[in-house]
Amino acid sequence: MKRTVPLIIVMVGGILMMIQYFIPHQASQAVFDYYTEWAPIVGAFALVLGVGSLTRVHFHRIRRRSKNWPYSLAVLIPLYAMPILGLMVPVSLWGGMESPSIFHFLFMHIQVPIQSTMFSLLAFYIASAAFRAFRAKSALATVLLGSATIVMLAQVPIGEIFGPGLQDVGLWILRFPNLAAKRAIQFGVGFGILATSLKIIFGVERNWLGGAGE
Amino acid sequence: MSAVNFWGKMLNVDRRWIFLLIGVVSIVPFLIPVGMPLTTTTEVESIYDCIDSLGPENAIFLAFDFDPGTDAENMPMSVAVMRHAFFRHVPVFMTAYTPLGNGMMMSGFEYVTNQELPGCYTPVDYADWATYRDAGIVDRDGLVAAWEADGHSLPENSVGWVFEGRDYALLGYLPLFHLVILGMTSSIEAQYPEDSHGNPLVEMPMLREHKSLREVDLALTMAGSSACMSWIIYGREKIGLPIAFGVTAVMATDYFPFIQSHQIIGQMGGLRGAAEYEVLMERNGVSATTDKAFTGMDVQSAAHLLIILLIIMGNVAYFAGGFHKQHLMKSGR
Repeated sequence: MKRTVPLIIVMVGGILMMIQYFIPHQASQAVFDYYTEWAPIVGAFALVLGVGSLTRVHFHRIRRRSKNWPYSLAVLIPLYAMPILGLMVPVSLWGGMESPSIFHFLFMHIQVPIQSTMFSLLAFYIASAAFRAFRAKSALATVLLGSATIVMLAQVPIGEIFGPGLQDVGLWILRFPNLAAKRAIQFGVGFGILATSLKIIFGVERNWLGGAGE
Repeated sequence: MSAVNFWGKMLNVDRRWIFLLIGVVSIVPFLIPVGMPLTTTTEVESIYDCIDSLGPENAIFLAFDFDPGTDAENMPMSVAVMRHAFFRHVPVFMTAYTPLGNGMMMSGFEYVTNQELPGCYTPVDYADWATYRDAGIVDRDGLVAAWEADGHSLPENSVGWVFEGRDYALLGYLPLFHLVILGMTSSIEAQYPEDSHGNPLVEMPMLREHKSLREVDLALTMAGSSACMSWIIYGREKIGLPIAFGVTAVMATDYFPFIQSHQIIGQMGGLRGAAEYEVLMERNGVSATTDKAFTGMDVQSAAHLLIILLIIMGNVAYFAGGFHKQHLMKSGR
């Protein structure tokens, strides 16, 4: 039962939505509208499950004083503090989500700088990695090195010092060889998605059940 | 010290020196701006031309499909497009793919409407012009005339009014956003009964004129992830909605096939794309000056040049030291 019911739901739902996409009829549209209204509501319940699971895991770590348990506090406190500040604390006490509020202050002065910093660290690691690993060890590696250098220079204004031709070559690399390679990869990925989707809809691929009913 | 030792030491240089160099070239151009000229590409020009051809009778979607991590790249392009749309009086629906994107949407709107910055727009909240709406004054020119006739005047730095519900609507985030896009192909109001401020969408003039994505002229997704693909799959392919991308530089190479196939009208790739848009706006009188993206191009020029120099130095040391004949190299600290 635990395996059969989900398999039937996936098969019926999958086939229905596939067929619906190609039928511009009122009844078909009604099914579509009904689905798009329901799906986000069902999806929102997944959030409850996720938050519940996260809370349980970290609560146990804190209670048992597991290794690095203070990090669990760092997860749980903001997880509950932010919604409380944004949704429950009255605006008169600096609640709410819009500026000026504590929620907005924390978002703009903690969340934004932390994430931006993490992303900007990439520049430092890329520079170090490029110095150590980017070698013209073979003909193919040399082609890669040459094209990367041209594209990097063509992407910035200083590249125009080397003449207008450099930018044209850089754009040509992006618009033709890059495009061809990307399209080939995307075709492969697309067919892979199609095959996997059909296997899931028709019950051939069952890993998503996660061992239910065994 | 033998030659091999010298090249070996160079290859195994403490990486903190490289970090220091990158730090220096990232800071110095901000202190000493050069403002090197920037040529524009057709990928960005096509987006600019599309928005420039629109007016108050049209509408666009501006999707903040990025998190704070890519703020430096995605925010300048979002701000530039918002300013351009406001300049042309094109109504803008703003959405977000993630909860953090909702914060970015608010942050972008606050930047464009910051009254301390020159070239800002002055927002008028939905409730503040209710009497005009009740009197049936909803066309933009009539609304501005009536609003100013009642004694309202633009602040010193401001270049225009933007009325909530007439010129913009902050729709914000909803879960499973790809399904929200799908749902908006039938009805925007069914997905968003209210905007982020709790105003009912059904009463908004801009929604009455544009009930679904079928009646929208362009959707721009500013993305730091593959979230932008949802707009193609569910917007472009289902109803033919024109789409444009604003993506990070590392993502930009992925989407050239979609430009060639005309599934997107163009894309802004990274800070360069945003800077090109700012240059186009300045050149055509949409804004008096360029903004953060153009300033950032000096930093990017210096950083790219440094990385290329490091690659050259690394290769010179590698071959001159004869390390290409060896299999093992120390990895450095």
